[in-house]
Amino acid sequence: MGVKGSRELILQRIRDGLRVAVAAPPRTESGPIFEHVVNPLERFQIECKANLIALTLSHDANESRAQLKAELDSLAEGEIHVQDSPVLRSMIEAIQINRPVKWSSQGAPAEASQATVSLAEALVAQTGSIFVSAACGGRGISVVAPCHIVFATVGQLVPDLETALRNATAQGMVRKNSFACMISGSSRTADIEKILVQGAHGPRRLAVILQQS
Amino acid sequence: MLEFPDSMARKVSLFVPCFVDQLMPQVAVDTLKLLRRLGCDVYFPEDQTCCGQPAFNTGFWDDSRPCAERFLRVFRDAESIVCPSGSCTTMVRQFYPELLKETASLEEARAVGRRTFELSEFLVKVMGLTDVGASFSHSVTYHASCHGLRELQLRDEPLRLLKNVKGLKLIEMLRSEECCGFGGTFATKFESISVAMGTSKADSIAVTGAEYVTAIDPSCLMHMQGILSKRNDRAKTIHLASILASES
Amino acid sequence: MSNSGQGRATPTAENVRAHDDGKSAQAQKRPERSAAQQFFHDAAIKSADLVHREIIRKNMDSYFVAHDRGRSRFADWEAARQRCHEIKREAVNNLDKYLLQFEQNVIANGGKVFWAATSEEACQYVTELAVRHKVKTVVKSKSMVTEEIHLGLALEKVGCDVWETDLGEYIVQLRNEGPYHIVTPAMHLNRQQIAELFRDKFSEPNLTEEPEELVAAARRKLRKAFFAAEMGISGANFLIADSGVIAISTNEGNGRLTTSLPKIHVAVTGIEKILPRLEDLATFWPVLATSGTGQPITTYGTLIGGPKREGEVDGPDEFHVVLVDNGRSNLLAHKEEREVLHCIRCGACLNICPVYRHVGGHTYGTPYPGPIGSVLVPRLEGKEFEHLSYASSLCGACTSVCPVKIDLHHHLLHNRRDFTEKGSASARERLQFRLWRMAMQSPRIFALGGWLTRRALKMIYGFGLTGTIADPMRAWNKGRERVPLPQKSFREQWKKELKNGR
Repeated sequence: MGVKGSRELILQRIRDGLRVAVAAPPRTESGPIFEHVVNPLERFQIECKANLIALTLSHDANESRAQLKAELDSLAEGEIHVQDSPVLRSMIEAIQINRPVKWSSQGAPAEASQATVSLAEALVAQTGSIFVSAACGGRGISVVAPCHIVFATVGQLVPDLETALRNATAQGMVRKNSFACMISGSSRTADIEKILVQGAHGPRRLAVILQQS
Repeated sequence: MLEFPDSMARKVSLFVPCFVDQLMPQVAVDTLKLLRRLGCDVYFPEDQTCCGQPAFNTGFWDDSRPCAERFLRVFRDAESIVCPSGSCTTMVRQFYPELLKETASLEEARAVGRRTFELSEFLVKVMGLTDVGASFSHSVTYHASCHGLRELQLRDEPLRLLKNVKGLKLIEMLRSEECCGFGGTFATKFESISVAMGTSKADSIAVTGAEYVTAIDPSCLMHMQGILSKRNDRAKTIHLASILASES
Repeated sequence: MSNSGQGRATPTAENVRAHDDGKSAQAQKRPERSAAQQFFHDAAIKSADLVHREIIRKNMDSYFVAHDRGRSRFADWEAARQRCHEIKREAVNNLDKYLLQFEQNVIANGGKVFWAATSEEACQYVTELAVRHKVKTVVKSKSMVTEEIHLGLALEKVGCDVWETDLGEYIVQLRNEGPYHIVTPAMHLNRQQIAELFRDKFSEPNLTEEPEELVAAARRKLRKAFFAAEMGISGANFLIADSGVIAISTNEGNGRLTTSLPKIHVAVTGIEKILPRLEDLATFWPVLATSGTGQPITTYGTLIGGPKREGEVDGPDEFHVVLVDNGRSNLLAHKEEREVLHCIRCGACLNICPVYRHVGGHTYGTPYPGPIGSVLVPRLEGKEFEHLSYASSLCGACTSVCPVKIDLHHHLLHNRRDFTEKGSASARERLQFRLWRMAMQSPRIFALGGWLTRRALKMIYGFGLTGTIADPMRAWNKGRERVPLPQKSFREQWKKELKNGR
């Protein structure tokens, strides 16, 4: 590489600058910044609605499969891309869809995929978010297709962002994955006259099937 | 003269902003009249000139410092210093300690600052009054001058006083907290922007339909009046002191 | 097609195509104008532009409705601001330690870190990388730092097609302008203008003005670029020291595609974007979103920790973080100014600033407009932009809204003091204040001076010389009615009548 960079120079400048003492008042103790989430499931439903996430609750595996089938049937013809996990394998097998399925183990999603299906690392009630990582089928799976379907169970629901991020650190999620993403809705933009338009570059539709058992 | 149960004869030194003294003296006259009516013993230290704000705001702190030190000398023995201007009060209370940080006058600056009050703040917080017995039968809208609002944290003191003025119809202004565009030397250095901001403010005033627009800062009023007159707008500016001094 | 050849010049009036009401408001280009002169020129034009004012007014009003709603979602917004201020203070006051921790973690995760002292160094690194990998197409998600260092131009010079993928950035790129606002780059345009632009540039004459259709058209165009690009360049909203990840907050998904599809991902960031811990995002993500757009959180909070790992499905083969100093470390030595490095580039101060609302983003002539720009740019870029620190009425609205509690308007005062002390003020102004100071030391001279001024003005006005060179108040009297002149000053009245009254 031609250009060497200025690591030592910059560090030296920083250290010199920091030698100037600046008063550091003690950290203030304050009450909670966010309201405590009392009923995570209820809150998650409210936030998903506000985020325009299509959330359906299912009671058991049968209902979940039916829901997934309904989602996929509503799509135009074409290939779907699914995270290669035992759970999703068995779901897809059970519903017998008539369209080509590409599995994440075969590579990244094709540009023309109609939809992608993945699991999640966690769900966050406070903000109506789905926390995914590279282990949930890679990076492209949650952004390339116009429809992204997530299958999750209620045990994955945590009350707030702080819990989700602390867990991620504790479990080494970020060490083990090169990518993670807190997704709180469908892709959107308001760059034109501040009018909200869904489906900018990412999925227009984000659907979550949340199984309660 | 009305009797106010909580007031004693307070000794007040009047701090009159330099440009009020020379260009808008009625504001000071009305402040004096009002405070006397409320039973204060008001004195105007004739030695005062300017608090030093113009130089300070423009970055000429070395030229501002002598004015500040002079101010402290002039008002050294004052009990309460009352000023009909949020920006000048801010200069003394908030900025003198910074301006005089490396000098021997720092402690005195802090002490004098603690005794310096903007007029509405003095009436409400020190004298404990919200009804000063004023009467002003006109529609009025209120502009929240920036220094009073954001430096002195005066949000509702002026409004509480206005609400108790007999016959006064208070009309709320949209974007009352948006700067009118005066900004000291900004008004002439960046004249086009200052006037543009003033015309936006004049538009907000016009929407209220009020006969008068009032504020606690005479500089805002001077600037707004210049714009309102140029546009032949209906509203006229009037300082809060003049409304509160009014008994007709 | 991407913007041909010229690259993204620093926005100045000559390359701004303002709102089109039939007459283009293109300013005359005069290369001998200094940045300050250009500012005055553009400010005068834009301040008087009522159509522009209305567009910005509408945008800002809707922002504040959303912002108010956003703040009410916090149990204690002020506590949130204080917490963010303290976390940033901790980060900046230990900048070397946290940057080293960040670097160590990025490298452990398979990424590379390059420390660039200057814009040139940063551009050189990225262009050399592009050339080495024979990069033809580059997709970019929004990064103010890349504007600051003129990276787009540098890449185009080595033959790359650079596509801005944030919709607002893409629009202004097609117009060969700089971004108008750091969060909403195309705020100054309406749908008609955007439709006309797309019809022309995409050769799609049947495109309507419906925002949905326009967004779909942009999506089609940019999608090709995403899938073809060999290099993706992003910024970073935050650098997380304890995990070696960069955090990028977006809504559109362009940041996601930029950092997932191309083989090489380069993140360009200022050194001050550091946060100590991943969990700090639990506060910063909602605060950034609330301050930036009023949302509770942006749609995508992306965390990138390195190139694709063994066993992962997809992702770039290479991940580079370019840490840009470009004058930031100089601010650390400044006791008062160090906190300016807390800025998270949310744009709230721009939205509330009455000066910004009246002159618009392009008038500033810098990538960072508004209050933060007025404070920061003179410190980063030097004397040429000092005038920005004076172009403010010091109303303090910016300070009241800043989510990390930077005392912005007081920093403007400090800037003015520092620039004056080091000699930037004109000789005339220095003399004026010297005389003023002398007059203020004596009540007699003050009273006499005031009396003389009033008499002189009366005479000047009496002779009909208002507004002429003979009128000392001509700057005032240009857009305002003359200040009425009283007969007697207050002190005269006090002496004569009021002193002994009760």
